[in-house]
Amino acid sequence: MKANPQANNFKHKSRWTGMLVLVVAALTLEATALIQFHYSRKGIREEASKRAESQLENTKVQVLDILNQAENAVRNNIWLARLCLTTPDTLPRVTEHIVRENPVVIGSTVALLPDYNIKLGLLSPYSFKDPLTGQIISKSLATEEYDYPSQEWFLNGLEHEDGFWSEPYIDTGGGDMVMTTFSMPVKDPSGKTAAVITADISLDWLTDLVGSSPVYPNAYNMIFSRSGKIMVCPVESLVMRNTFHEVAGQFEDTAAIASLDRSMFSGETGSVTIRRKRALSRVYYAPIERAGWYMSVVIPDKQIFSEIRKVNSFVNLLQAIGILMLFLILRNAARNQKRYNKLTENKDRMENELRIARDIQMSMIPKVFPPFPERDDLDISAILVPAREVGGDLYDFFIRDEKLFFCIGDVSGKGVPASLVMAVTRSLFRTISAREESPGRIVSTLNDSMVEMNESNMFVTFFCGILDLATGRMRFCNAGHNAPMTLTDAKRKLDVVPNLPLGIIPRMEFQEQEIAMGYDDVLFLYTDGLTEAENAGHELFGETRMANVLSTRRDSRGHLLALEQAVADFVKDAPRSDDLTMLLIHYVKKSPMFHARHIVLKNDIQQIPFLNDLIHEIAEKINLDESLAMGINLALEEAVTNVMMYAYPEGVEGEVKVDAFASDKSLKFIISDRGKEFDPTAKPEPDITLKAEDRPIGGLGIHLVRKIMDSVSYKRVDGKNMLTMIKNI
Amino acid sequence: MEVKITRKGNETTVFFIGRLDTPASQEVAKELQPVLENASDTIILDCKDLMYISSSGLRIFLSVRKEAAIKGGKVIVRDINDNIRSVFMMTGFLNLFVIE
Repeated sequence: MKANPQANNFKHKSRWTGMLVLVVAALTLEATALIQFHYSRKGIREEASKRAESQLENTKVQVLDILNQAENAVRNNIWLARLCLTTPDTLPRVTEHIVRENPVVIGSTVALLPDYNIKLGLLSPYSFKDPLTGQIISKSLATEEYDYPSQEWFLNGLEHEDGFWSEPYIDTGGGDMVMTTFSMPVKDPSGKTAAVITADISLDWLTDLVGSSPVYPNAYNMIFSRSGKIMVCPVESLVMRNTFHEVAGQFEDTAAIASLDRSMFSGETGSVTIRRKRALSRVYYAPIERAGWYMSVVIPDKQIFSEIRKVNSFVNLLQAIGILMLFLILRNAARNQKRYNKLTENKDRMENELRIARDIQMSMIPKVFPPFPERDDLDISAILVPAREVGGDLYDFFIRDEKLFFCIGDVSGKGVPASLVMAVTRSLFRTISAREESPGRIVSTLNDSMVEMNESNMFVTFFCGILDLATGRMRFCNAGHNAPMTLTDAKRKLDVVPNLPLGIIPRMEFQEQEIAMGYDDVLFLYTDGLTEAENAGHELFGETRMANVLSTRRDSRGHLLALEQAVADFVKDAPRSDDLTMLLIHYVKKSPMFHARHIVLKNDIQQIPFLNDLIHEIAEKINLDESLAMGINLALEEAVTNVMMYAYPEGVEGEVKVDAFASDKSLKFIISDRGKEFDPTAKPEPDITLKAEDRPIGGLGIHLVRKIMDSVSYKRVDGKNMLTMIKNI
Repeated sequence: MEVKITRKGNETTVFFIGRLDTPASQEVAKELQPVLENASDTIILDCKDLMYISSSGLRIFLSVRKEAAIKGGKVIVRDINDNIRSVFMMTGFLNLFVIE
């Protein structure tokens, strides 16, 4: 057998389905990850922004704290400086005091305006902490080379009533210290600006302050001065040497840099993304207005998203593993499918062979119903429903010498082995019963043969009967089969001797029994597949249900179909566990009728007188009244003439057979021929009340047959016309 | 089967002797052709010795009767036995003929 194309198709389909499942799964996972990534990114960016802003805020607070200390040191001593204006040589005490009392202040001066006191001229006592010893040293800044009135701190201090923080600068005097100076004017009691008072602070702590807690590992802070000078920067070589604008030139992202420049240096708070060498960084910035500084936190995107990247690669890994596992599962499924398809192929082939086996098996049992259409004393029907393709049940029947031989059997087990035993049993039954007329001997012989070849230890329950159709005498022999039912009057089981099934003990004597079957008797034989049919709830069909169905009066076929339906309704979808076989024999015992005679005529009218001879013979035999004999002769002649005239075409030779049966109560004739199908009983009745002028010439023949005979029936069987006529006498 | 035909004046008498079955009727039908020509007169079908009749025999009786009806003659069936009478009865022939 070729591979099932459907299975092949399915194979391809399943492969594509597998691919599709993989692709869809991958896409779904990826989409989920992307969405999650997108939203995470947003959240993370917000988080980064918060962190940066809070750091900027922190830095500002801490810076302002220090700046305020310095500013307060100045403000708190302005009154003292004003007092000392009149005694200028006491001014160093003021500066010393400021430095001593304020740890953040490392230097301080009070510088007189050059034209404040002509007598004094330039005067600027300066006190500072020695960076090495911590000693407070005072000196004068009023030197020719320094020329303090031209210094930024001095000029700005004069201009800003509220004080002013200078650009950071590197103090060359006391070591390379980055410093910034707060300066504000000092007015004399008349309100005239007399001097500038200052406080210097070191900015060394600034780098430590902002660098101590980076928001992200690779994030960094930068602080620019008012003029753009770099005050804090991770690259130390740039500090105090380069400006924002010098460094910004290295960035190719000029638009973003310009925006940053504009926003940051105009004192705004905000953020901007800058690209440098394909790497993106987010710059958060905010001013410290008081000092004129601009802080920024630079966070590379890589850093911001490093966590999510880690999570993402983990997710990607999981996805890959998931897809791989899905792939393996699908491949496994595909392999199983392949294996299954192969199995299906084998199964198909076996099913095909079993179907053939079933056909062969079914052809071994009679299954044309009614089996004896010409007999009106017998109505037989049988059904065999195997649970599987082939079964181990059997039935058989045939008529020999006016005796009905019948049997039913059930081979232990099911399926092919049982079916082989069934076939053997049926063949043996036919062979043995061809020469035996005793059910006991048939069963014994059958048993011996079965034992002899029973190597598989299978046995057969078997019931065999022989019904003498003329007398109604029924002899039977049981071999372990369940007792048949008689449906006449009281529905009861036949009282049978169980005996042992066939195939167990050799040379066993099987007891034969006998009953008389009377008019309208029904014998119902079945296998336990009927009573033991099981539904899904493991309930059995049982004898009560069986008896209920049989209690309605039906013909044999009707009974069996009703039972089959009842079993099907009962069992529903539950799997059939056993073969179901039923054989029903409805015997209508007539007064003994014998096959009186038969003649075969050619389809030639000239042969009609032979019918007269036949009737004479019968009439003499059964002492028939002369006028009755003439009537029967007439009916027979009309029927046979009809066949000769209509069944065979003109000029075609054919035969007409007449079978005559007789009893002391009736006569029966069966006229059969192999001509074309022709049913004389279908002709309409002629109107015999018409006047002679109106009467048609023909149509009287079949009318006479009907008038004379008590029963006329037509059947077409096996290509034969069969007209059965019965006359009660 | 034998048929005898006698003619006396306006009366034609047909004597049926034996069994008028299907093959016999075919012969008898031929023999009766001349009788049908005298159908305008009286035709007597004598059945004293007719033992048996089939539907083909009845057909001959009917065709004689039809011919007489056309030609205005008269048909009398004489001396039928009980068996043949019952056949006549079954076929409605008793009403078609004058039976003596």
